[in-house]
Amino acid sequence: MYDLIIVGGGPGGVAAGVYADRKKLKTLLITDEFGGQSKVSDEIQNWIGTKSISGFDLSKILEEHLRAQKEIEIVDDDLVSAVAKTDAGFEISTKKGKKYQTKTVLLVSGSHHKQLGVPGEDKFNGRGVAYCSTCDAPLFAGKDMVVAGGGNSALEAVVDLIPYATKIYLLVRSDKLKGDPVTQDKIKASDKVEIIFNAEVQEVLGDQFVTSVKYLDRTSNSIKELPVGGIFVEIGSAPNSDFVKGLVEINQYGYIVTDPKNQRTSVLGIWAAGDVTDCPFRQNNISAGDSIKALLDLYNYLNSQ
Amino acid sequence: MIQIYTTPTCVYCKMAKEYFKEHNLQYEEYDVSKDQSRLNEMVSKSHQMGVPVIDVNGTVMVGFDRDYLEQAVKESQK
Repeated sequence: MYDLIIVGGGPGGVAAGVYADRKKLKTLLITDEFGGQSKVSDEIQNWIGTKSISGFDLSKILEEHLRAQKEIEIVDDDLVSAVAKTDAGFEISTKKGKKYQTKTVLLVSGSHHKQLGVPGEDKFNGRGVAYCSTCDAPLFAGKDMVVAGGGNSALEAVVDLIPYATKIYLLVRSDKLKGDPVTQDKIKASDKVEIIFNAEVQEVLGDQFVTSVKYLDRTSNSIKELPVGGIFVEIGSAPNSDFVKGLVEINQYGYIVTDPKNQRTSVLGIWAAGDVTDCPFRQNNISAGDSIKALLDLYNYLNSQ
Repeated sequence: MIQIYTTPTCVYCKMAKEYFKEHNLQYEEYDVSKDQSRLNEMVSKSHQMGVPVIDVNGTVMVGFDRDYLEQAVKESQK
């Protein structure tokens, strides 16, 4: 029986793991990879204490910091598929069919890429529809491209494409960009970039590969078609909370409802932090901080049992 | 023989290469951001445009899946 099982290997999971080990809690951390969503970022300039670091290097130093702890047990090639309440605490089941018993649980399972949900998106996934611009932007050299979205990840996809694509249409659903002004300035400085506001992607078309993208121009209320070689979908993220549905309280968007004072969920014995929760800000630093807050509260809880 | 098609900034390509190094596996790397003919080869092998593509003696996989890769390497060593 573990004192604590940490579900996730992003900044939140690692932060809690380091603190848990120092508190001598019998801890297991389960993840399928380290670093969380920003692992694929080219460059992170706001991880406090570090002027600039790639997502890949950040994932490495997080993993190293965790593995430097003496007692913590780590499963790094599995995913949690279910959490069930038992008399003594909780039972965690994994995709690979393992079961673990624990007194408390910390959910730091993060979020995943949201899809557009339009015709053609699945059909052309990997054949012009792409979700990782740092990986795949160079493959679209000499092509006109669409990026869908208006937040930081969309702006970064545009930045990744600028050296390769001939033209980049940024289709923004709302009437303004949400991403950081620093990155907005970067893309506005390129004459390859055309920003189209009030634009809703309707369909991805093609033969073997993507040949065009249809969108609803809400300004003129007409359907328009852009002949392009591909589309990067960067419309935000959705929480990885399916495996605790029906157990803890989840809001209408799938985020786990937490008490911001101590990160408790609706179920005593289960805490949550980071992008999987209803905290409105999705940041590495916040995930780490909130996760530590949860850890300190659950430490007190365990001591009072 | 193991072939891997990569781009310079692709994290999962780096993870796959680290896996090869950890397991002392020889591999050939093609940077498809610079080599158009290898890009075409990658697309015709994998029927898609996304890196990494890994070819282990004819078993072609898209992305880096440690378990799947391990299995493919084992099969190829039989």
